[in-house]
Amino acid sequence: MSRRVLLAPLLLLITSLAVGDTRQVRTLADYRDFRSLSIDLAGRFPTRDDLGTLERPDFDRNAWIDTHLGGPQYAARLTRIYMDLLRLEVSSAVQVTPPATTLRRIQLVGPDKKPIYVYYRRQQRRTREATDGEFCMTSAETGVELTPGQPPKGTAIEIKKEVLDANTVVVRPWWLYRDYVELTPAKRYGAEWTDFDPSYVPSDKLRKEADGSPTIEVRVCREEAQSRDTGSIYVTGRVPPPKGATPPAPRLRPLPLDDGYAKAHKGEPISCRDGLAVSMSVDCGCGIGLQHCMPGDSDGNDPGAFMLPAHSPVGLDASLPLTAQSVSVWYKYWWTQEVEHFLSHLFSDDRDFRELLTAKYTWVNGPLAQYYRSTAPAGCCGRERAFGLIEDKEPLFAQVSVPTSLFAHDAATWLTVADRGPQASGILSMPVFLAKYASRRARAAVVYNAFLCKSFASSDAELLPSTEPNLMIRPGCSSCHATLEPLAAYFSRVEESTSVYLPSAQFPLKNPNCKNQKNGKPAGFCDAFYDPAFTDGAAGTMRGAYASAENAEAGMLGIARAVTSSPDFASCAVSRVTASLIGRPLSSDDDALVRTLTDVFVHASYRMKPLVVAILRSDAYRNVNNRRNEVAP
Amino acid sequence: MRFSLLLILAACGPPSAIAPTANAPLQEIARTQEDTTTKQDLRLVPPEVYIRSYLQLFGGLAPQDVQAKARGSDGGQLFDTWDDYLAALGLPDYKLDLPRASQTNAIMVAAFERLAVALCDRAVERDLKAKPPLTERVVFAFDAPEAIDEAGFATRFDVLHRTFLGYPAALAPGRVKDFHGLYSSIVSHHQTAAKKSRFTPTEAGWAAVCYGLARHPEFHLY
Repeated sequence: MSRRVLLAPLLLLITSLAVGDTRQVRTLADYRDFRSLSIDLAGRFPTRDDLGTLERPDFDRNAWIDTHLGGPQYAARLTRIYMDLLRLEVSSAVQVTPPATTLRRIQLVGPDKKPIYVYYRRQQRRTREATDGEFCMTSAETGVELTPGQPPKGTAIEIKKEVLDANTVVVRPWWLYRDYVELTPAKRYGAEWTDFDPSYVPSDKLRKEADGSPTIEVRVCREEAQSRDTGSIYVTGRVPPPKGATPPAPRLRPLPLDDGYAKAHKGEPISCRDGLAVSMSVDCGCGIGLQHCMPGDSDGNDPGAFMLPAHSPVGLDASLPLTAQSVSVWYKYWWTQEVEHFLSHLFSDDRDFRELLTAKYTWVNGPLAQYYRSTAPAGCCGRERAFGLIEDKEPLFAQVSVPTSLFAHDAATWLTVADRGPQASGILSMPVFLAKYASRRARAAVVYNAFLCKSFASSDAELLPSTEPNLMIRPGCSSCHATLEPLAAYFSRVEESTSVYLPSAQFPLKNPNCKNQKNGKPAGFCDAFYDPAFTDGAAGTMRGAYASAENAEAGMLGIARAVTSSPDFASCAVSRVTASLIGRPLSSDDDALVRTLTDVFVHASYRMKPLVVAILRSDAYRNVNNRRNEVAP
Repeated sequence: MRFSLLLILAACGPPSAIAPTANAPLQEIARTQEDTTTKQDLRLVPPEVYIRSYLQLFGGLAPQDVQAKARGSDGGQLFDTWDDYLAALGLPDYKLDLPRASQTNAIMVAAFERLAVALCDRAVERDLKAKPPLTERVVFAFDAPEAIDEAGFATRFDVLHRTFLGYPAALAPGRVKDFHGLYSSIVSHHQTAAKKSRFTPTEAGWAAVCYGLARHPEFHLY
């Protein structure tokens, strides 16, 4: 260290005494340590006032740490460690637009020759044969042809008033009215309703008509506007048309037919929140004020909906400028916010860190409540009905647990949900985790890596052609899959891509209905859920469960318990937090430190605050920048 | 011709066999103790911390308000939009699985520079031009007379040094002198420049000092 640096505190002391300054003389190392503490615990550089605190004679470093340990920036700092690790935001490749809960709209020409918007759901069943399963008015009536996934074709013509009135109604929808549940909603967004949540901003297109005037009411197809909770299974008795027959005019596509399930359950009740209701009943709609559906500003696959910040690096309360985002982005944004809230509370409340994987509780706001109430159930049940599952019987988030007091507008109001239900398991059962890591193996691998600090490295075994379906023993694969497959088995009952839970009553691990038939293959409907490679003449084996039936039955809570009870769990958490706070990967030189800190962590019942205090008080943290011995010019 | 023939003969001849020999042992010059402790360089300040501190230096405003104030309406083009800077500052993009930047790069340094200039210029306008009470000044929390000697500069520079780098300027030997040289040079150039600046020479001098601190490696590293 240079002589100039050594002399500097002395000069500072002499100067201070000369001017009668009562500030305590601190060394450069003291100031740098304080700056590090401020960055890590206060989330910002120290201010001049903060430096004044440091320079007070009675400044107590440990007391300062204790004071700042419970603050929001402390929680944000720890949350960042695990968000960086798990990267829990879902890419644009994932779209969340179930037909049952997505209202799309098209622009038509009204009877008064003015442009109008009409909202509708794809696949909506209607008693009118000409529009059954389609938009509620024909192309002959509107001049516009609609094909899913393609832009509308044709030139809109003036719709006759009687056609419009017969097939559509006007509604004061939830996204514009705070009091949409009232008989006559009157509190419109931005007009009578001014104290709205600043995080809740419908896009300009949802708030204005085609001519630019404010939207007071929306026009929606009549079936979509229905508000009952339970409908009935609709059966037409239609017979399949001869091969090559053209659809009956004015239809562009063939009439929907009754499937086997509908025929067998004709007229039986069906929950209108079920994803099948839109395509199996004519009396289910979006509910009062269309509250169970998400509005879109076009006929596109993922239409625009609400305004959101592209990023919120310093928190939701200081978000960056808002831009119009799609229906999918709206859901996915709040999925991420759910896990951030969960982590933030876990750290700020200093809860047992193992709850990250095992907790039954979570935090939800208005948009998430609407998602769990309406959109999540709509993900079920298509292929599952062949097994008798027509509604999500054991959802990952039980319907009864969703707070009824939350409106979809309440974006900034977060309520705790004490118990999401029997299948809930920390972040593992949250939609953002299941969508980000969409396969059983991806889910298992990330848990193994993030929480046990282990990774899969392939051996140098020669990969020979093999027909062995069991990857745990196949040469070249077994070195990783012997560990991975039993871990992946824990996720067998959570359907990949939809996150529907497959109950044992409908989906036994060994299913005789999916055994090999006379042709040596199982029935076609089995393939999505039962693995043909592990099917024999007696039963089919549920996909992913071949490695461990015990793990498959234990489910996500099983892997959570297995991982958190592993001796590697605590040392892994300690290593990750320590490495983040001292800003470098740990090496074998740090083993003693990690052992000491792990003892602290475990004895503190896996709570982070004692661990963080121990790290901040350690020499490793104080001497963190030991290569810097001179200040730059 | 004769030379070429010799070359061909040499090339086609049997390989020369050189027997391997052991190296002679190195001669010991001195003995010293090996330092096996872990060495660590400076860390990059997390972009979240940088942004939060930046907002604070702008007067504790919300990001949208900072963007509006930094952009201004004077055509200065000092600031684009936050979205233009976030990736450059090293923020991770979880959607794309892009990790957080742990080291600086040329684009990041350019972003630091642009943000620093916007911060300092608007701070000069807010604190020095508008002349609010000293207690309300966030960055230039001092008066800025036209005539100033090195001692007077040092007192004021210390305020900025503490604001940006978090410690007294006296602990960085030579820094007051260097920055005073910078300040004096800028003031002098502005006094003699033919083209008028929107800043007075004194304001331009303090703005340059502010640029120097807000772009200093110690501001971005810890």
